[in-house]
Amino acid sequence: MSKTKPSGLAHYEILFVVSNRFTEDEAKTSIAKVEKLITEGEGKITLNEYWGKKRLAYPIKHEAYGYYQLFEFDLERKDLARLDEKLRLDHEILRFIIVTKKLKSDEQLAKEQKIKEKIGKKQAEQEKKSQEEKTKKEAKPKKDAKPKADIESLDEKLEGILNADDLL
Amino acid sequence: MNNHHNNNVVKKAKECYFCINNLEPDYKDTKSLRRFINFYQKIIGAGRTGTCVWHQRKLTLAIKRSRKMALLAFTHK
Repeated sequence: MSKTKPSGLAHYEILFVVSNRFTEDEAKTSIAKVEKLITEGEGKITLNEYWGKKRLAYPIKHEAYGYYQLFEFDLERKDLARLDEKLRLDHEILRFIIVTKKLKSDEQLAKEQKIKEKIGKKQAEQEKKSQEEKTKKEAKPKKDAKPKADIESLDEKLEGILNADDLL
Repeated sequence: MNNHHNNNVVKKAKECYFCINNLEPDYKDTKSLRRFINFYQKIIGAGRTGTCVWHQRKLTLAIKRSRKMALLAFTHK
């Protein structure tokens, strides 16, 4: 919560883990509760991603599994503290994290597209170069083979000349 | 001529993974975060991974967030 922008809507992202004490249906009801908390005021959910039951990297409260849920939402800045407090006091939720998300403007998106195109071009060039090198490498042995043949033919010529010396 | 010992190995300049691929470190993307963590689940320094300073700062934050959410472990078992 920045001091320069005390009011107005902001874009947030929340990821939370529901305890494995519950069945999947029960977990979904507690997820719905959180959804209600967000949409109570002027909140609006823009993205809803249910990750399902996942193994935790380390046990939390003696539990090895948890149900992960991800939301992206717009919320009044002053309402965030209330949401944070309620989630903190909720025993069904093992962990949660709320992160501010910057919405990308059209200019930024255009810039990123340009960068992506550049990267694509570079990769294509690199592939071309590597292919050329490969073809060169394949061509080189043939060049090496030719001089050998030349030496053999030279040897033959020399022998021919040497033999011809007798005639002179 | 024995050229088995080549001491003049040219060191390749490492490049930042996030700059090259036009990505930003994300705490949810554990697959790409894992390449910046060693066996003991410690964060590898930027000098070894080639990450630029700007992204290394974001990366450490992302890894720590990921640990909090139990997506990554704090230590190995």
